[in-house]
Amino acid sequence: MQFNPCMKHKLIRNSVRHFAETELAPIAAEIDRDATFPLDVIEKMKTLNYFGLQVPKEFGGAAMDSISAAIVMEEISRVCAAVGLCVTVHNGVAVYPFIRFATPEQKKHYLPKLASGEIIGAFSLTEANAGSDAGSVETTAVKKNQEYILNGTKIFVTNGGVCDLALIFALTNTDQTRLQSSVFIVESGFPGFLRGELEDLCGMRANPVSSLFLEDCRVPEKNLLGKLGDGMKIGMTTLDNGRIGVAAQALGIAQGAFEAAVKYAKERQQFKKPIASLQTIQNYIADMATGIAAARLLLYHACSLKDEGAPFGCEAAMAKLYCSQVASKVTSLAVQIHGGYGYSKEYDVERYFRDAKVTEIYEGTSEIQRLVIARSVLSQWTF
Amino acid sequence: MMKSKKKSIWVFGDYRNYYQNRVTLQLLSKAVDLAQTIKAEVCALVFGHEIDEWIMEYTAHGADRILAIDDPALKSYSTEKYLAIIENLAKERDPEIILIGATDFGREFAPRLAKRLKTGLSADCVGLDITDDGLLLQIAPSFGGNMLAEIVTELHRPQMVTVRPGTFKEIPHNYTRKALVERLPLMKKLPKSRVRLIEYERSVEKEHTIENASVIVCGGRGMGNRDKFKKLHDLARLLGGDVGATRPVVYSGWADHGALVGQAGKHIKPKILFSFGISGAIQHTAGLGEADFIIAINKNPQATMMKMADVAIIADASDVLKTLIKELKKRIRE
Amino acid sequence: MLNLVVCLKQVPMVTELPWDAKTGTLRRDLAAGMMNPACKHALEAALQIKEKFSAHITVITMGPPAAEEVLREALALGADRAILICDKLLAGADTYATSLVLTAAIKKECPKFDLILCGAYTADSETAQVGPQLAEELDLPAAAYVEKLEIHGRTLRVRRMVDNFRETLEMEFPALVTVSMENYRPRYTELMGLENAFGGDGVIVLGAAALGINASLFKNKGSRTKVRKVFLRKTQKENVILQGTASAVVTEFLNKYQRKISTAIGKSIEGKLNDEE
Repeated sequence: MQFNPCMKHKLIRNSVRHFAETELAPIAAEIDRDATFPLDVIEKMKTLNYFGLQVPKEFGGAAMDSISAAIVMEEISRVCAAVGLCVTVHNGVAVYPFIRFATPEQKKHYLPKLASGEIIGAFSLTEANAGSDAGSVETTAVKKNQEYILNGTKIFVTNGGVCDLALIFALTNTDQTRLQSSVFIVESGFPGFLRGELEDLCGMRANPVSSLFLEDCRVPEKNLLGKLGDGMKIGMTTLDNGRIGVAAQALGIAQGAFEAAVKYAKERQQFKKPIASLQTIQNYIADMATGIAAARLLLYHACSLKDEGAPFGCEAAMAKLYCSQVASKVTSLAVQIHGGYGYSKEYDVERYFRDAKVTEIYEGTSEIQRLVIARSVLSQWTF
Repeated sequence: MMKSKKKSIWVFGDYRNYYQNRVTLQLLSKAVDLAQTIKAEVCALVFGHEIDEWIMEYTAHGADRILAIDDPALKSYSTEKYLAIIENLAKERDPEIILIGATDFGREFAPRLAKRLKTGLSADCVGLDITDDGLLLQIAPSFGGNMLAEIVTELHRPQMVTVRPGTFKEIPHNYTRKALVERLPLMKKLPKSRVRLIEYERSVEKEHTIENASVIVCGGRGMGNRDKFKKLHDLARLLGGDVGATRPVVYSGWADHGALVGQAGKHIKPKILFSFGISGAIQHTAGLGEADFIIAINKNPQATMMKMADVAIIADASDVLKTLIKELKKRIRE
Repeated sequence: MLNLVVCLKQVPMVTELPWDAKTGTLRRDLAAGMMNPACKHALEAALQIKEKFSAHITVITMGPPAAEEVLREALALGADRAILICDKLLAGADTYATSLVLTAAIKKECPKFDLILCGAYTADSETAQVGPQLAEELDLPAAAYVEKLEIHGRTLRVRRMVDNFRETLEMEFPALVTVSMENYRPRYTELMGLENAFGGDGVIVLGAAALGINASLFKNKGSRTKVRKVFLRKTQKENVILQGTASAVVTEFLNKYQRKISTAIGKSIEGKLNDEE
């Protein structure tokens, strides 16, 4: 693993930062306040390949390496985490399973549209009674002629309000002794696909998170992703990848809050000098900087393992766990450094603070990450 | 043709915008100053058609000698023609120094002349002096005027600079002064201009470019919305100035890209800069190094822009703008 | 097929300028670089020409090895070929020397060019000299501060605003323009372009020797100017603070500074007005 960013990574970071600062920075606070999804900026992002980060070139994607893709998600989230979330989920958990598990026909049909952003994707595993316990989904898929009939309710679906396609996890065998789930490619236009109201959330407010209802939703047989019964395998593989995305997102949020805090600490005068000259504040800044640097290395390490084709699930979980913790800690300190102003909507840090929290929750809570890490560690060390 | 033995400081007579821009007179004044130190004569160059007015004016403002070419062929400015003429004259007469006003014309023309004369050039100088070793000390700004460089041309002659308008004070005119006026014929083999002037007109919609404006009214996101931002134009019009903008404003479509001030845009040098609702990110302030007098208006007294201002007004930018326009309308006498 | 050459410069990013506080000088070696903004506009002009006509774009820069970055960025944006002129011998070149070196590179690598585009000025030294001096070296018709370009056959028509005059000029190819920042707002970089810019043929690197430039020649024909000192400009600001209602602060401000404003705008402003007025 290279420790100095190569020229390509630097250039990608600068380019994405330029885009995010010019297009998203001016509206980030506003779309958070009003919980609106910035469709016009999203349109621009589509033409610049933000929706096909790692899709192979033959399907019109940018075919980026994983560190590059992480940098993109990081830099968007540094300015606007909610839009970062849209990109992360689309690329990390909606498009990725196509690359890994789709049939050549499915790839040919869906990947170009996903890569160009013509269709925005969502990933629907979570249900009211199936969160961390992914095995207990209740949505069902029953085969009838050449179709599957899906019934159930998915909740907290990122991009739910705007997605044109969702990967739906459903039981294809309800026999309690041999529970079996599978994944279906469900287009929003399929009969029986309904969206719920948008969620009113603490953070990530500009992302249209919603429920999805499947009411006798008819899905052609050819839209089964992978093999029948592959649900758990696809889900776990996809989540491994998704965790890299969420880690990148958390890191970006931390970076944004950190920069705001440093700037403020240099400007804000108390006791007739900038508060940055106070040792307490310096300690905070040192801790924040160290946490971010460590988080970044952990994340890029997971990325490089993924690109080498090595197992990366444990490292992705570590990166996700650590980056999200750093994000929560750094954003909290950023608010603290801002004092009363930090608690006000006049400054961006309270938004970062709210946005950071969920990175410890979704795509596997920190508790689940620890479970994944511990299992992996315990299985490797056979003393 | 006679060759003067005395060292000579040449000043290029740039008269096209005489009424807005008296840079040539300012240069003559500095040339007189430098000439005393290095014991030289001050020589003004005047090319054009029906140019007696300028010959008189430059004499009155300090020229000892005038090299004048009055010919219909020179009726409008032409880089290529002027280049050929001055190249010829300079090779013949070896001036020690050539001063050229940093107008747009001067800044396009001077580098080419320097190249032809195989000598150095400093652009847009904000100060000139003579070093202990008798060289022309050329003080030029860089990084939006946040830095200054002291430059010399050690071995080659003439020593050339362009000088920003307003840098030096002109000497009061004295119409009893006399200068030696050499009226020269147009050179025989004047090259045909390869750049054809198809159309030109004095711009009415805009008096100047923002880079040269002496009053600039800049606005940021703190203006609130596009309509409130547009009011900045009213103030700019009242003050005969231009409107500048920060990057978020330009990208929100409140202002044209041409109005962008800062690292990715224009570097400005107004005598007075009003800064409305701008926090002062370095991407913006990088373009303000040479703003002379800054008035910042912002609700937030901690904003960087407020700290770098001569006058920091703690108030709502849009309210102050409205009131200022109203009040100025009452007070300005045309 | 039009042959376009765009000259680019890498300049330090102001957000990351590391100043040496003691000497007040810039540690250029430490500063992160970016494509000079006006150069980016020039490249955009070339890209727009390429969208309309069949054209091939070569980008050239002279600088340290890290300057390769701006060439990669240009390739990502749509340039076809990139040349880096990089040699310790050339470090510290002024515009006179730079235009000489660029000329040698253009003559060697793209002798059949139709149009050279440069940025009107750079964000660091702001001399605006390399373009015009390149035109001299290559003996080309040229126009600086161009806002708009049109191509009709072999004729280039440009519009520009200089010293309050709006001009339309025409010249025949080959020609040179320097592009202002009024128009040609640079496009965003596509991620796919960035990825592709690092594959493919890469960047052609030329040393001084490859251009027939050696130390003694460069001493005679190189830089004419010498920078003796560079320093931070320190300005003392009064930082008067006014606070209160809009009408109160405006009145106070105008009363205090009416003379200063009068001088700047060339119109007189009345001092204190009675409130009744």
